[in-house]
Amino acid sequence: MNPNLRHADYPIPTRCHSYPEPYRPMNASSPPLPGSPACRRIRPACATIAGGRSNNTVAARSLCALLALGVYADGSAFELLDGVQVHGFATQGLFTSNGNNFIGPSAHSVSLQFTELGMNASWSPLPKLRFSIQGLSRRAGGIQDGSPVLDFGLMDYSFFDEEDYRLGIRLGRVRLPYGLYNDTRDVAFTRPSILLPQSIYPERTRNYTISGDGAGYYGEWRNPWGNLTFDFVTYFPRTEESAKIAIIGLKTVAGNLTPGSISSDLSYVGRLAYDLDGGRLRLALTGAYVTTHYDPVFTWPYDYLAGNDQFFPWIVSGQYNTEDWTFTSEYSLRPINHSGFAPVAFARYADENVIGEAYYFQVQYRFTPRWELVGRYDALYINRDDPNGMRFQRLLGEIGYDYPAYNRYAQNWTAGIRYDVTSWMMLRAEYNYVNGGAWLPRQDNPDPAAVAKYWNEFSFEVSLRF
Amino acid sequence: MSRLQVAFGAGMRSALLAWLCCAMLFLGTAPALAGDIQVVVSRDVPRSKPLPRYSLIAIFGMRMTTWPDGTAIRVFVLRNDHPLHPRFCKEVLQVFPHQLQAAWDRLVFSGTGQAPEVVDSEEEMRERVSRTPGAIGYLHKDQIDNSLAILPLAL
Repeated sequence: MNPNLRHADYPIPTRCHSYPEPYRPMNASSPPLPGSPACRRIRPACATIAGGRSNNTVAARSLCALLALGVYADGSAFELLDGVQVHGFATQGLFTSNGNNFIGPSAHSVSLQFTELGMNASWSPLPKLRFSIQGLSRRAGGIQDGSPVLDFGLMDYSFFDEEDYRLGIRLGRVRLPYGLYNDTRDVAFTRPSILLPQSIYPERTRNYTISGDGAGYYGEWRNPWGNLTFDFVTYFPRTEESAKIAIIGLKTVAGNLTPGSISSDLSYVGRLAYDLDGGRLRLALTGAYVTTHYDPVFTWPYDYLAGNDQFFPWIVSGQYNTEDWTFTSEYSLRPINHSGFAPVAFARYADENVIGEAYYFQVQYRFTPRWELVGRYDALYINRDDPNGMRFQRLLGEIGYDYPAYNRYAQNWTAGIRYDVTSWMMLRAEYNYVNGGAWLPRQDNPDPAAVAKYWNEFSFEVSLRF
Repeated sequence: MSRLQVAFGAGMRSALLAWLCCAMLFLGTAPALAGDIQVVVSRDVPRSKPLPRYSLIAIFGMRMTTWPDGTAIRVFVLRNDHPLHPRFCKEVLQVFPHQLQAAWDRLVFSGTGQAPEVVDSEEEMRERVSRTPGAIGYLHKDQIDNSLAILPLAL
């Protein structure tokens, strides 16, 4: 799920003590003394982590291949054998901002580090049995490097498939039913904007939230007054490096991640949805319980505590469609219990139980069949009892850490336009005005103290599908 | 600090307002039905009792995948830019074409279902539906011959 925005922000506050400095610049020979100017603002060694890296050519080649494929296929799916379908998508983004890095080094520069390539196949050997698999290569700034991963791979069996109800099970790596958009969040055609609203669908915890290994149970009950559907998944979250960073923060010495490993515990997510007339009105309630724990490895002098992290978000979702308009809103409460993960001496500052709050309002207007405008207000508060972050700033101030309060919230206005060139090609342009840095990926902005409070961002996207 | 709290409070109020607006829009809908588009099936498809609209939406939404006799449903649709497709969506299903496309995309790209088979013309629709067991599609009533059957609907 979308856990732990807060944790990525946790600046393990060791820098102004004789304790060695995790954020220490690579060439610093000794830790700064308490109160020294170096203590106020230290750039991490890993600032270049967001810089250009490998994979460009691989991604570009694959993109070309998919492009050719898309053009060849003229946007239609492949039917290789009876009952086998193959679909795919390719997206390239461009980001530029006047404040913070988002999706690569976009601050006062242009980042092309956003490439999504995916291909899936599904096969129905029997009417009630289906197998689906999707491979995905996704490059997104410092968050993901484009290495191909198994995105989902599952067996789906319907026990009942009748006129007015159905019940079934999915086994394997399944997509997590979370809000309105998580199921297909990597497919630009299904997103309302270049990226999803970052309050509820933050990029920085994406790997952790997209799919899980386990079992899903689903059902649908159809009536003249609408359909009720449920999806319930018990799973082990995927805990790749980027999830680790999201949970425990980017703590590096010369680019090394925190010693130890994150492992996932059995987690649950469920969504109950109501829709009328094939989606004219869609309402949904999502609840999740996600647990992970951290097993540190003692590598002197980093003596980290073992950590536990529990995240149990709720989302209320609503969407109303007319022929030309789509109105969407989601509201989420994000309670997080977080203990440990920190160096022993600072455990008191690492433990926190907070309830975060996130919501957005979004309007889409299709003024011709091929053109669409989108407008959105999106807000995230990491602790609803400390919405402006001042309390958190003071807490860290006590131990000499300069942590700007605006890293604890983000308010984001979005205006964008979409043009569907053909049914298989789409272009987008978008402007974002953001106050705050709560959802900024640490991989792109390693030093919370260097985050800009107010910032503007322009982005562009081209996407193909078949 | 106070500015933030004001914004925060306003957010909650506008949330309520937005939801109220949605509810009002929803109460105001009253669709109409035209009779010159028919749902057609291959002749082997069981059609003993009329199909309610919510089941028809589930079939074209690719969420109902077997006929009552257990055979697989094979759904055929015209291309999105064919003039009959939006008319079928709006007049028969009473679903906007963009909603249907979104529903297919959600299935295909989350591994939870398949997309319908897309045909380019009504001739191709007639031909494919008539020779595919378990097939369902739609045609203008002038295009229907006895190679296929009309599915009775309880609309």
